[in-house]
Amino acid sequence: MEADMGMLAIGAGLAVGLAGIGTGLGQKDAAAAAIGAITEDKSMFGKAMIFVVLPETIVIFGLVIAFMIIFV
Amino acid sequence: MLGRKSGGGNYAYVSAKVKAKKTSLMGDDAYGKMLMMSLPEISRFIGESGYQKEMAELAGRIEGIDLIEHATYRNMARAFSSILHSSQGELRDMMSAYLTKWDIWNLKVILRGKTYGADAESIREDLVPAGRLDSTMLDRLLSMETDKEIIAEFGRMEHLEVPPEAINAYKADGCLRDIEDALDKLYYKRLLMSTDRSSTPKRLFQEFIRREIDTINLETILILKTEGIRGDDVMKYVISGGREIDKKLATQLANADSVSAAVNDLAQLDFYEDIKEALGANTGSLKDLVAGMKRYHIGQAKKFSHLYPLSVIPVIDFMIHKNIEVDNIRIIARGIESGIDRDTIKGLLVI
Repeated sequence: MEADMGMLAIGAGLAVGLAGIGTGLGQKDAAAAAIGAITEDKSMFGKAMIFVVLPETIVIFGLVIAFMIIFV
Repeated sequence: MLGRKSGGGNYAYVSAKVKAKKTSLMGDDAYGKMLMMSLPEISRFIGESGYQKEMAELAGRIEGIDLIEHATYRNMARAFSSILHSSQGELRDMMSAYLTKWDIWNLKVILRGKTYGADAESIREDLVPAGRLDSTMLDRLLSMETDKEIIAEFGRMEHLEVPPEAINAYKADGCLRDIEDALDKLYYKRLLMSTDRSSTPKRLFQEFIRREIDTINLETILILKTEGIRGDDVMKYVISGGREIDKKLATQLANADSVSAAVNDLAQLDFYEDIKEALGANTGSLKDLVAGMKRYHIGQAKKFSHLYPLSVIPVIDFMIHKNIEVDNIRIIARGIESGIDRDTIKGLLVI
């Protein structure tokens, strides 16, 4: 029983961890591009921010899966 | 996987930066407006649209057409340097290699200026320090007494050697043509050698350069054919390394009896469909042909930059567009100053 709980915890950790890495990779280029655009035109700040935070959804999916693994 | 882009270059940052810069370039309507203006009005107009800093810096010393020309060149040099300094890794290496064309341009300006006895100050004002050589290095070249010293010092700075036969030909007839031609060939040879095909951005860059060589060769061959020159006299101006126009095809085109015969030989090229229109407009008019080839080249840069946003091509696309903007402003200003009619000036613009 304890071993099963341990496996679930590892699964939940992987779900959040891997999703976090994916988000980081996605956000790396999006944020770099956003900064590049904003340095030339400050009015792009609002739009650029939306694109930077879009990859955050992936880590939220990971978090939801982790919750489902542990609590459902 | 993680190290792929960090070692390769900051493509996302620089691409977004140049795309934002590109949106501030002048559009067709701005050229239309400028065509209706007088010279002082053009100065004021460009002073209000992206060239403020340079116009303000130079307005106290020069005026009229000289002010417009120097301000636009200075602005372009600053724009290119700023992008070069924002880039990293292999992206910086590729851009730096590509921008060497401005070093060669500057060397040509210095040599021409010295040949015609222009003073250092007026030569300096025509320089575009957009390449690897900054103003200090260019000043060092300017301070040299003889052409031989200038060429030798340039070779040391750029680590290249101008072929002795070109220097000898220059010594023999005092004409810079051979040296200029040798420098252009050296530039492309080195550009191709400096980029291997180890990564997708490098491969794309090389592909684009080879297409550029094709465009230049085709333009050269057709221009010389229009002038009635053929055979080896044409081949000595052909740059090697093209993607589709290899030595065999170039010789075939150079030996063709007429421009129309050469155009027929071009039907085998992959990009024939794209240049058909430009060639069709070539009814003996070099102006149309050159403008057509330029449009094709711009189109290629634009297409590649959309297809491969995370490569060096968007940067080159911006550089080409910026250069064309500066050329167009200068054409309009020079044309209006010389009293050329508006329609002729408009025909010379690349829009």
